[in-house]
Amino acid sequence: MPKIEYILTVGIETHVQLKTKSKLFSGSDNDSKDSVANTLINHIDFGLPGALPVLNEKAIELASKAAFALNSKPSYFSKFDRKHYFYPDLPMGYQISQYDQPIIVGGYVEFYCNDQLRRVNITRAHLESDAGKSIHPDNQNYSLVDLNRAGTPLLEIVSEPEMHSPEEAKAYAHELYLLMRYADVSEANLYYGNMRFDVNVSISKDNQLGTRTETKNLNSFRSIERAITYEMNRQIDLIESGQQVIQETRGWNDTKGQGYSMRSKENADDYRYMPDPDLPPILLDDQYILKIQQSMPKLPKYWRQQVSKHSLSTSIIESLIEAEIEYSLNNLDYLVNLPTNQARVIANWLVNIELPLRKKLAESAKNIELSDKNIQQIYNQVYSIFESGEISSTNIKLLISQLLTMKKLPKDVKEVAKESKLLQTSDEGLLNDIVDQVLANNPQAVKDLKEGKDKAIGFLVGQVMKGSKGQANPTIVTTLIKSKIG
Amino acid sequence: MAILSHDDILKLAQLARLSLSDEEVESFINEISSILNYVEQLNEVETDDLEPTNQVTGLVNVWRPDKVINYGYQVDDILKIVPKMHDRYIRVGRMIE
Repeated sequence: MPKIEYILTVGIETHVQLKTKSKLFSGSDNDSKDSVANTLINHIDFGLPGALPVLNEKAIELASKAAFALNSKPSYFSKFDRKHYFYPDLPMGYQISQYDQPIIVGGYVEFYCNDQLRRVNITRAHLESDAGKSIHPDNQNYSLVDLNRAGTPLLEIVSEPEMHSPEEAKAYAHELYLLMRYADVSEANLYYGNMRFDVNVSISKDNQLGTRTETKNLNSFRSIERAITYEMNRQIDLIESGQQVIQETRGWNDTKGQGYSMRSKENADDYRYMPDPDLPPILLDDQYILKIQQSMPKLPKYWRQQVSKHSLSTSIIESLIEAEIEYSLNNLDYLVNLPTNQARVIANWLVNIELPLRKKLAESAKNIELSDKNIQQIYNQVYSIFESGEISSTNIKLLISQLLTMKKLPKDVKEVAKESKLLQTSDEGLLNDIVDQVLANNPQAVKDLKEGKDKAIGFLVGQVMKGSKGQANPTIVTTLIKSKIG
Repeated sequence: MAILSHDDILKLAQLARLSLSDEEVESFINEISSILNYVEQLNEVETDDLEPTNQVTGLVNVWRPDKVINYGYQVDDILKIVPKMHDRYIRVGRMIE
């Protein structure tokens, strides 16, 4: 069968839980992670007759910040609507959402995918209240509902269908995560479901979009990539075997690595949207919007631009940007202000020595105890040792790992290096003995070298380095070996 | 003149989670159609230059500071009206297969 090229098209709806203390329309505690079921609820979340929802001011502020993070602006006018549907996790019988006049209209997200800069446009983003959480115990004929999460403020960010590979969709979702964290809008903890993704997937052979399906409630970047790949292949198989893709809502079983059909998608008007008469509209003025703009933290785009003057690789920059929020560090500002040579070397240490160390420590619930400031002082001192050529690259790794696990900043980093015998020696007496030994033990390599096979010298230097436990200076060792064999 | 079909009524019933007998469906075809016809008189009003009315209070920006509020009653008092509890969970019919 001839291989037909299909174009994959993906749009993503992302639910971001806003970082508020109380819920969107009630004064219940919004921190439902690890809470006892049905403790963070009140008459409003429960939808009791006569309960009056009152908007949380902070949600408007955070959504406005999100607008700037998405290269947009909060709308001057927005309002709340009721979206009706019956489901056991929705006590009111409707979700309070925003239908035709949302808080954010337009915008875009820029990110790197396989080192390429990509831009995905944002259609809109609206505020809405979350539903409760359901549990479906195995082999039972009932489900269980916990309403602690009911009423939690969500910002639903809707992208244009502009992504064309599973990797790109994953990279977009990851960038949204960075933006929400950097803008301080959400805890964006995926483990606790602070960000959930619905992916709309279709395939076609030309620019005419095919029938799409929506796979709901993905909760990790990896599951986005896997679910899209799965759905793309499923749709291709259907079409290749002469069948049709049905527009439907689907679920994803991450353990099995499989999608499954949930229900045919209801038409939009089945939700019977209507303006919520309990909630007066939001009217923001220029002064409010300007104040939010001025309060915006620096975003990944700014840091990428700043750090790029040191011509670091994209992967190094992205690792630094990720680590900055992952471990609450302040390394970007530090690196930006260093001379380029030094910044490049230290960025490399950060990404290849410090971050793996942090990851390893975190696995046993441990942490680096030194402050960023102290670690930066350590790096500056290690850098001067490095510049003087007194330490091998293997030993730099050992030295930095040792220093970072110290309880407090040592007085003199070089002293620590000396005590741990990590500095290179140019003590020719000691080196002579090691070189003699190595030459005696490797007659074949010596013969090769004498016959002009230059490769052999590398091997011999390596043996000496090993014999000196990395303390030998390779340049001196090379000279020594050459002079002995002559 | 809005005349609803049998299927329209069934769809409305499904959205409202109501199960209707055949006689009820027949009678609602006429009842709801006549309500719609009555309301249709509003279409005669000229509204081209008007903004849709979403609110009649004239209020804007009614919001509260982001604080956890003690409403002065026990959460468990609310749970007393739940038909069926299971430990601290609300027990409902199975939602998924």
